[in-house]
Amino acid sequence: MKRLLPILACAALALITGCGPSESKPGTSAPGGPAPAGKKLSIALLPKSKGNQYFVNVKKGADKAAAELGIELIFDGPTNTDPAKQNEIVENWITLGVDVIAAACENRDGIATALKKAQAKGIKVLTYDSDTTPDARSFFVNQATAQGIGYTLMDTAAKLCGEEGEFAIITATLTAANMNEWRKNIEARLKEKYPKMKLVDTKPCDDQKDKAQQETANLLGAYPNLKCVMAICSPAVPGAAEAVKQAGKAGKVKVLGLGLPNENKAYVKSGVTQAVILWKVEDLGYLTLHAAAALAKGELKPGATSYKAGPLGELKIEGTDILLGQPFVFTKDNIEQFDF
Amino acid sequence: MSRYFRELSVAAVLALMLSALAVFAPSFFSPAPLLSRLASEVPALVVALGMAVVMIGRQIDISVGSIFGLTAVLSGTLLANQVPLPLVLPLAILTGALFGGINGWLVAGLGLPSIVVTLATLVTGRELLSLWQQGRFISLPEGVQWFGLGQTTGQWTLIAVGLLLVTLMAWASRNLAAGRFIYAVGSDPEAARLAGVRPGAVTFGTFVLMGALAGFAAVLNLVQSPQVDPKAGGGLELKAIAAAVIGGVAVTGGRGRLWGVFLGLLLLTTINPALTYLRVEAYWEKAIQGTVILLAVVADRFQGNGGAK
Repeated sequence: MKRLLPILACAALALITGCGPSESKPGTSAPGGPAPAGKKLSIALLPKSKGNQYFVNVKKGADKAAAELGIELIFDGPTNTDPAKQNEIVENWITLGVDVIAAACENRDGIATALKKAQAKGIKVLTYDSDTTPDARSFFVNQATAQGIGYTLMDTAAKLCGEEGEFAIITATLTAANMNEWRKNIEARLKEKYPKMKLVDTKPCDDQKDKAQQETANLLGAYPNLKCVMAICSPAVPGAAEAVKQAGKAGKVKVLGLGLPNENKAYVKSGVTQAVILWKVEDLGYLTLHAAAALAKGELKPGATSYKAGPLGELKIEGTDILLGQPFVFTKDNIEQFDF
Repeated sequence: MSRYFRELSVAAVLALMLSALAVFAPSFFSPAPLLSRLASEVPALVVALGMAVVMIGRQIDISVGSIFGLTAVLSGTLLANQVPLPLVLPLAILTGALFGGINGWLVAGLGLPSIVVTLATLVTGRELLSLWQQGRFISLPEGVQWFGLGQTTGQWTLIAVGLLLVTLMAWASRNLAAGRFIYAVGSDPEAARLAGVRPGAVTFGTFVLMGALAGFAAVLNLVQSPQVDPKAGGGLELKAIAAAVIGGVAVTGGRGRLWGVFLGLLLLTTINPALTYLRVEAYWEKAIQGTVILLAVVADRFQGNGGAK
């Protein structure tokens, strides 16, 4: 029995990574060199929290690309947002010897060490959705630039409020790298273009709808002149809308945010939420896998200025950011056409 | 008087905080937002009461957030499939009790440490939930929100349920034999056994009660919004443990009063909105909550000998 164990373990590993004993181990190929031909690439995709529907949709797109390109896709992440758990998973993948790690980072600096370690072992690293420090990855698949998102949010809010009045932000956590970038740009746009608007408070909701509802209720009570609530993580948008509805302020206090159309349809149609802003999430997963494969095969090299991602067409690369495009505003008029 | 020192000091801190709010942010007490705030904390109260009982019995249950989340999703799914609320409610309580029973059996039956057992069930529960629900919200049918009573009546109903439960459980823990047994086992399981109490049965019972209350709380939470978030209940274990500790429940078992836990939760859940009303940045919230918990534990240390028993 004892002798069987290593064999069983190897078989299990082979099942997970697709590496049989006869094949060369992934990760041992020279950095920058193409992966051995005939071997299925194994790409590990790390979400911030795998329960979040946003990342479930990322996975849908990634699955599609994996099927088209014949890639072994490994999808794992913390159940709730948890930076330490992300590091742990990356460490496991290093041991497992995957070809590429594509990570959405909860803590920009916290995960950099683990990702650099992966790079040192010859694993290609790219990030998507939420970046790490630039030296810990080759590319960042940027769903929309922080500027694009921040400006779109601020411009939409200003339009809804008639360019004057108080507004507040609900974010996931005060440490989430991408959200902090968006907030910076929201504030920059505010300063530059809307002198009569004032950001009164920013509250975290731990990525939970119920907490967002409570925080919004508190804000509505504490700031009676509040004209708009801007929710920048997806569970917060319906949470904020429900609080506004319960406070009897539907329409008086505008709600907008970054979120999924399906979760917000009822509120958008009943006039509680005015605008939902997002990119096409499945495209992000698709592009991430597509670029990860190209990176492993050596088709995508540092210094490239554009990248052709199958049906997504020719996309711009700014520095080391592969850009998905401009964010999309879902409103009463178009939200019915989307189902995610 | 000195027997109630701990509970009274929590009440005093709470009173101080509320008076400060009355002066600096009187809008804190405007009725509609206050009502909604209190109603939204009732589920946490129900869980905190159960947690206090488990802790008095010298155990801990950190899986409550997962039990809460699983029951919420199960109840939501049943409701979405047109199963009526009066039927879903007992099923939710039963489901919670079942999960509690698993914890209880592992702890009392196999003699495993509760912190490890419930950590394992916490993680397993959450993973099952993500696997099952994939993060999708569940939309509830009309008429479920506020039990179909309308917002204000619904909120008052929730608060009444919360208060009733505190009263009932506080009374039972002091006056029923089963309640006294929990204190006895928490103080000294061996002495309790010699006195004819079966510590294993008592421990098992506290976990079942905890699970049932977590299931009940999940329903009290889901009636407050038209959608169920499968991540509901994340971090609830910390809130419940913190409320119990602030309220004077000893982590070492055998000591604590349930109405103290009620005050502890009130204090804990006033901090966050108070900061919003006082316009303090959110960065301070967790630090202040942590400090309050630390103060409570330190107070326990000094109160340890001869304090409220």
